Amino acid sequence: MDSVHDLGGIEGFGPVDRSHEDEPFHAPWESRMYAIAAAIKRPDDWSIDWFRHARECARPVDYLTLGYFEQWCMAYEAMLLDSDIVNLDELAAGKAAAATAPANRQPVTAEQVRGKAHYPENPLRPGGSPCFAVGDKVVTRLAGAPGHTRLPRYARGKPGVIQSYYGNQLLPDAVATGRDEAQPLYVVLIRAADIWPESADSDDEICLDLWESYLEPA
Amino acid sequence: MPSFDSKRLGEIHRQMHSHLPSDPALRVKSLESVLVDKQMLDSGAVDAWVEIYCEQMGPKNGATVVAKAWCDPDFKARLLEDGTAAVAEFDFIGRHAAKLIVLENTEAVHNVVVCTLCSCYPLGLLGPPPTWYKANEYRSRVVREPRAVLKEFGVELPPEVKVRVWDSTSEARYLVLPQRPAGTEGLDEAALAALVSRNAMIGTDLARAPKQEEAA
Repeated sequence: MDSVHDLGGIEGFGPVDRSHEDEPFHAPWESRMYAIAAAIKRPDDWSIDWFRHARECARPVDYLTLGYFEQWCMAYEAMLLDSDIVNLDELAAGKAAAATAPANRQPVTAEQVRGKAHYPENPLRPGGSPCFAVGDKVVTRLAGAPGHTRLPRYARGKPGVIQSYYGNQLLPDAVATGRDEAQPLYVVLIRAADIWPESADSDDEICLDLWESYLEPA
Repeated sequence: MPSFDSKRLGEIHRQMHSHLPSDPALRVKSLESVLVDKQMLDSGAVDAWVEIYCEQMGPKNGATVVAKAWCDPDFKARLLEDGTAAVAEFDFIGRHAAKLIVLENTEAVHNVVVCTLCSCYPLGLLGPPPTWYKANEYRSRVVREPRAVLKEFGVELPPEVKVRVWDSTSEARYLVLPQRPAGTEGLDEAALAALVSRNAMIGTDLARAPKQEEAA
């Protein structure tokens, strides 16, 4: 989806604001939202890529101007509405409608949060027969893709070299449409000189993690 | 079940804009209450997350890993070979990456990490990301003019040092292993860890030797 979330290389933004360098949260509701996202009992059919897509589909003006955790709140609201778990009246009132019979869900408890490591679902899947080997020259796909995808605009249609292979990993484009489909995932190295006109004399490089369907042989 | 439909999500966002209050504090409070009502959330668990991951968790896990890599060549080799397994040798709590890649800065290459499409970050080692990491300015500019952005952070690299920008587009997470500063030969791991800033492990800073008076 060619939306404003795909920010790499967009010009016109000013200096990086570091005025709150050591404060990841600026208000109690921000840390609360971060924690809600971590502690929520997710429906099994939600995924990290569906969440990302729910944020990407915000009104473009909101994506560019609202605070980060405000956008997280909106993404969760949107996913809940989309899945018909809540309705707008309930979100407006901050209260479930009396008629709503609560599902017999067991939310994460404080004990489960404390004192242990949390790992996300591993996106690695068995199998996979990579078409490319380390050192192979490739060209990234020129066309965009509908829905959620992880090939940024600035890196499309560019020559690159396979830097490493990460195995057969869930494809975000598929996961965000509810399909458990994996593809070989590579690190692709692209020269800055091949992307940015003003970097023609630069030796700098950009590495991206790209799935096989994002690539073609050079 | 989700619709998996971008247009429907867009329409939902527009409806929310028309029907829900604009104050985010109010929105988050309502969201929490509704989720508790729906038995999808335990407010005690939210309290615990806030306490542990918002108030206590910082970049010290990452700094501990870097300092050990500086002191123990075998560990460093394991860390660069398989970051996920090497970090699992520590008993860190937190949210860890399914795959952790450690990028070594050298005399020839300086690595810097970004997520241009969202905000992917090694939370388990660095804690919650700083606001600038998630901001439009950093995400748009560091892939295009990394040296100008690094200069804003106080890092000026000589032209012969290549800058390699890593755009985190998958579930792999990247941690930069900064170069050990000169003049720190006598320091132990704890003292070295104190020299490793969060930004040095993102690549927007260098690990710096303690000032002379502090080193004495």
